[in-house]
Amino acid sequence: MWAYAARRVVIGILLLLALSLVTFILFFASPADQAKLACGKQCTQAQIAVTEKALGYDKPVYEQWAGFAKGVVAGRDFPIDQAQREAAPETVTHCAAPCLGFSKYYGETVNSLIKDYAPISISLAVVAVVLWLFFGVLLGIAAAVTKGSILDRGIVGLTLLVYAFPTFFIGVFFLKYVVVKWGLLDYPYYTPIAEGGVWGWLTNLWLPSLTLALVFLASYVRMTRAFVLESLGEDYIRTAKAKGLNSRAVLFKHGLRAALTPLVTMTGIDFGTLLGGAIITESVFAYPGLGLLTVQSSQAWDLPTVVGIVLIAGSFVVLMNIIVDIAYAFIDPRVRLG
Amino acid sequence: MGNRLKRMVALGAAGVLGLSLAACGGDSNDNGNKGPGGNNGEPGEAGGTLTVLQHFPFESSDPNRIYYGVQLASWRRTLYRGLVAFPMSEDPAVANTPVADLATDTGTSSEGGKVWSFTLKDGVKWEDGSDITCEDVQYGASRSFANDVIIGGPTYLLNYVDVKDYPGPYKATPEQQQAFDEAVSCDGKTITFHFNKPWADFPQAIAGLMMADPYKESQDKGDGSKWTILSNGPYKIEGNKWDKNKGATLVRNDQYDPATDDPEQLRLALPDQINWEVNPSDTAGELFNDRLIQDGPKDQAAITWARLNPAQLSQISGPVEDRYLNVVSPYTDYLVLNHKTLTDPAVRKALAVSLNANGYIKATGGSTVAEPAETIINPGVSGSQDNPAFAEDNDNNGDPEAAKAILEEAGVKMPVKIKLAYQKSPTQDKAMAIIQQTWNESGFEVTLDGQGDTYYDVIAQPDKDIDVMWAGWGADWPSAMTVLPPLFDSRPNFSSTTCGNDYGCYESDEVNKLFDDAANAADVDTQVGILQEIDAKLGEDYAYIPLDNQKFNWLRGSKVTGFTTTPASSQYPEIGLIGVAK
Amino acid sequence: MSNPIGLQDGGLADPASTSGASEEPGGPVISKSPTQLAMGRLLKDKLTMISAAFVVFFVLLALTAPLAYHVFGWIDPLKSDQDLLNDFSLPAGKWGGISSDHWLGVEPGAGRDTLARVWYGTTFSLLIALSATIVAMVLGVVLGIVSGAAGGWVDAIIGRIIDLTLAFPQTLMLLALASTGMIMVRNYLHTPAGNVTAAVYVVIVLGAFGWTSIARIVRGQVLSMREFEFVHAAQMMGASKVRIYFREILPNLWAPILVTFTLMMPAFVSAEAALAYLNVGIGAPTPTLGNVLSDSISFADTAPVYFFVPACMIAAIVISFNLLGDGLRDALDPKGNR
Repeated sequence: MWAYAARRVVIGILLLLALSLVTFILFFASPADQAKLACGKQCTQAQIAVTEKALGYDKPVYEQWAGFAKGVVAGRDFPIDQAQREAAPETVTHCAAPCLGFSKYYGETVNSLIKDYAPISISLAVVAVVLWLFFGVLLGIAAAVTKGSILDRGIVGLTLLVYAFPTFFIGVFFLKYVVVKWGLLDYPYYTPIAEGGVWGWLTNLWLPSLTLALVFLASYVRMTRAFVLESLGEDYIRTAKAKGLNSRAVLFKHGLRAALTPLVTMTGIDFGTLLGGAIITESVFAYPGLGLLTVQSSQAWDLPTVVGIVLIAGSFVVLMNIIVDIAYAFIDPRVRLG
Repeated sequence: MGNRLKRMVALGAAGVLGLSLAACGGDSNDNGNKGPGGNNGEPGEAGGTLTVLQHFPFESSDPNRIYYGVQLASWRRTLYRGLVAFPMSEDPAVANTPVADLATDTGTSSEGGKVWSFTLKDGVKWEDGSDITCEDVQYGASRSFANDVIIGGPTYLLNYVDVKDYPGPYKATPEQQQAFDEAVSCDGKTITFHFNKPWADFPQAIAGLMMADPYKESQDKGDGSKWTILSNGPYKIEGNKWDKNKGATLVRNDQYDPATDDPEQLRLALPDQINWEVNPSDTAGELFNDRLIQDGPKDQAAITWARLNPAQLSQISGPVEDRYLNVVSPYTDYLVLNHKTLTDPAVRKALAVSLNANGYIKATGGSTVAEPAETIINPGVSGSQDNPAFAEDNDNNGDPEAAKAILEEAGVKMPVKIKLAYQKSPTQDKAMAIIQQTWNESGFEVTLDGQGDTYYDVIAQPDKDIDVMWAGWGADWPSAMTVLPPLFDSRPNFSSTTCGNDYGCYESDEVNKLFDDAANAADVDTQVGILQEIDAKLGEDYAYIPLDNQKFNWLRGSKVTGFTTTPASSQYPEIGLIGVAK
Repeated sequence: MSNPIGLQDGGLADPASTSGASEEPGGPVISKSPTQLAMGRLLKDKLTMISAAFVVFFVLLALTAPLAYHVFGWIDPLKSDQDLLNDFSLPAGKWGGISSDHWLGVEPGAGRDTLARVWYGTTFSLLIALSATIVAMVLGVVLGIVSGAAGGWVDAIIGRIIDLTLAFPQTLMLLALASTGMIMVRNYLHTPAGNVTAAVYVVIVLGAFGWTSIARIVRGQVLSMREFEFVHAAQMMGASKVRIYFREILPNLWAPILVTFTLMMPAFVSAEAALAYLNVGIGAPTPTLGNVLSDSISFADTAPVYFFVPACMIAAIVISFNLLGDGLRDALDPKGNR
């Protein structure tokens, strides 16, 4: 068991290394003059050269990546160029491990930026997951047990209909109609728990989270419905029924168990993806999370921040994958051998 | 000449006066449905917490780097006092004349405007309790020269201060520093600026911009001070650090003594606290105004720098209308004609005659969003007057028949191919399509070229194949010296790789000569006269075609008092007058 | 894995994860070919036939738009007419300016005909979705066949590449890479600046992130087919391995390819809309469903007709393709080997 877990973790780390390398190549091998962009419009050639050295853009990509990887493990100091650090020690910023880089644009380490912006993305993701899991499973079961009825068709059809509209349309509809025009809800703005308490935090989150959850809902309804149906048709369920167990017990004890594994997988990975920032939802509601940070920094060509967010978001996905795999191994011992 | 000049100043003033009257309220019935509301101008009481909703990030909080109009104006009232400052008046004649702030008076000039000196008041302090000294002002001015470290701020001082090859305080040799300290010298509390040429409107320049603001040397970490704030105004920042994408909380500065200030004219500083919320999301501006329209309990004491979205204007009615202002902004949009590709004057004239400015304005949102402009010099700038080349025989709808006649007469083969470039946005896409359509009916064949973030870099290139470019401009201070020379004087703009801000690569020895005359003018009135002459000449050459003066649409929460705009606040809400009702 | 193209801040579960649950078709029918069987099942499935009719309708719309504009002059998506607007530059008249000349009203600001923009926009949206689908299919099928047929380390490497691709936060990458990516497209493919480059970029990147699901399905099919007699026969006759993979196996994969194709199209139509919201892709004045909708959100509550028309069009396309894909899958049962 532990050997399997260790193997998964090692593969995950290798995957992250590869992810960072590919990201680096994609961004830093581009024909754009990174130093000029980082420096700003009014920069002279000399200033650009200084910026280039300070950020290490004068070095080949693989060396930049090695420096970055070292920073992740051991931390590093900025500016990268030692001569510049010695000339102006008061401007040195230490970035502790795991260091994701330094953003000249924001004048901060990428770590502290991500720490600032992540809470909103995480809050959104958590509430959205709870919403879509609860309603997805509930509606999925309802559809499965009433298979072929109007209720079944209604549930499947309605969730598909909601899925078919673009996220930003749904979000804008909620804001402009439900909140502004009809005044059914208060205007949502992100309120940290420290300010508004759990209730304040939650009430301001649920509209954007619902927008997000509606996108995923259709998948979860269909999946729950399908697995419940499938397992209801299997021999052991028939046996259980034949044994005289009532149908609700059969459903929850046996039917749902079959649906559990794929649900865990999908939830884990979708959750991991969302932690990296739901760009569109955050943008519609103007919630300053990681998605918004991405939009801002890519507009400003602030590559260190972009690379940092890509990696953090990638790590969430890889991490959730590892957790799911290991959880799998617990649920189903055959996996370990495979 | 003198007579003509005076009339023109008066005309320009009348224009501004009109908009200011509109701004300060009065009878909303006179102004129809879109008029501004009733109690906006009423003065408020001290106390309470004001919320400022800002939909874009500032580039820096370092006074020497600040170049955003609204940031300069609002921070002058809250955080950074200057030697002199523009008063909070709606009357442009008053508003465009600086009054003393940290200095005892508005400065004394000698040697025909080449030397200016100011004396600091007693008792003016930094938020840490230390006195503001002449050396602080001297140091602040010197930082403007370190434009390899202090990037982004105005660079006017570099052209005027009588010192050669001074690299700023960080890299200067003792000799260089000595030379600067003589050019900008301290004698007790009196600072004296020595310039290499006359600078008639220097007080205006440093009232609006912060390039000669004091800066405390012991606080300076160069680039590392980009986001720190050491206040000397009525407020200070909690934590001393501005958060680029989040903003900050402003609380009372206990070291600020109103007795050293002129609160009535410069800053009432009514709220006890200002929550300055930045949200740089693309949608934030629209959402802020949605919130203000709704006027929920959290937003009743809020203002925003975000203009109402044109589509939102149709929702301004009933009680919302009382919280609404519609004013002409200091920003003018214009089209630049590329003088390297459009060499035929007839083509340039035909373009001007058939420009559908009204359609453009309608596409951007209609008469509450912009008004047609007849010159590039905004009505808020001293000496603004209609340019005859554009004002005469022109109803701003574009006249395809007249244009065709001009082209035919000049023997130009139609259709003339034109490439029109602009900075891409959904609104601009539509607005440019309107201009394109009318031009296409006028003997032209127009292709649209919507550009991304690098737009201004692209149109500065000398060898571009673009014929017509959209551009916008606002004066740095209310003088046409900050409009025409930066945009049309070829000498500072041109280099081998760029035409600078002179996007059309317009070059005229006659105009350049007049620019020199204007710069060397000893007094402001003479200067304005020369600048008006230059504008007329630019019109004859069709160096540009004016498009529109943008209008601002502001909304406030229902508990905000003293809500108005002034020329000094760049027609943004004047934060120095704003209070919060209980 | 879920979310083949996670651009809606999420996505519909991909066929691989849900297809295991496809309902068993009706009782066995004797002495008919599998294709005939499938056709028979399809024709009996009313919902699928209706959605097929809609899909055909949308494709016809897309094909006829250029004719309607350039040849017959029925529509003109670029002609502005500000006389149709009121003082606020909003469509004059009660229902968003609907009249006998403008069946779906007009656009605020410029007064262009909404029907023309949505009709022509369908052409561009489907064109982008189709191109991206083809890129993804070609990539996925080739890599899937190679992976399944070669086995060993090739299979392992392709498997890792799939993991890596899935670990990338895709919306984020699309957005963050847009500026550099478009420069690269322009430099290397010599596309003209502007919309052509933007379209090529979107197609390439959507394809590059969308191929993993089909690759996995194809690999699975190849693995199961490797032991089939016709493959052995071909090998014995001395056919080269590559020839066998592509000439012999590919034609047997048409069913999963068709199903995946039908399900990928709507995902890319949604993706185009989401990207248009983020200002990536073809921009106005050239209409796409995405950029028309994205323009309309500023007028969500002030010009509702203009807001709902493009959204409903997108939803209708997405739903029809999805239902058709589901129906095809049930009928063809491509995972029947399991």
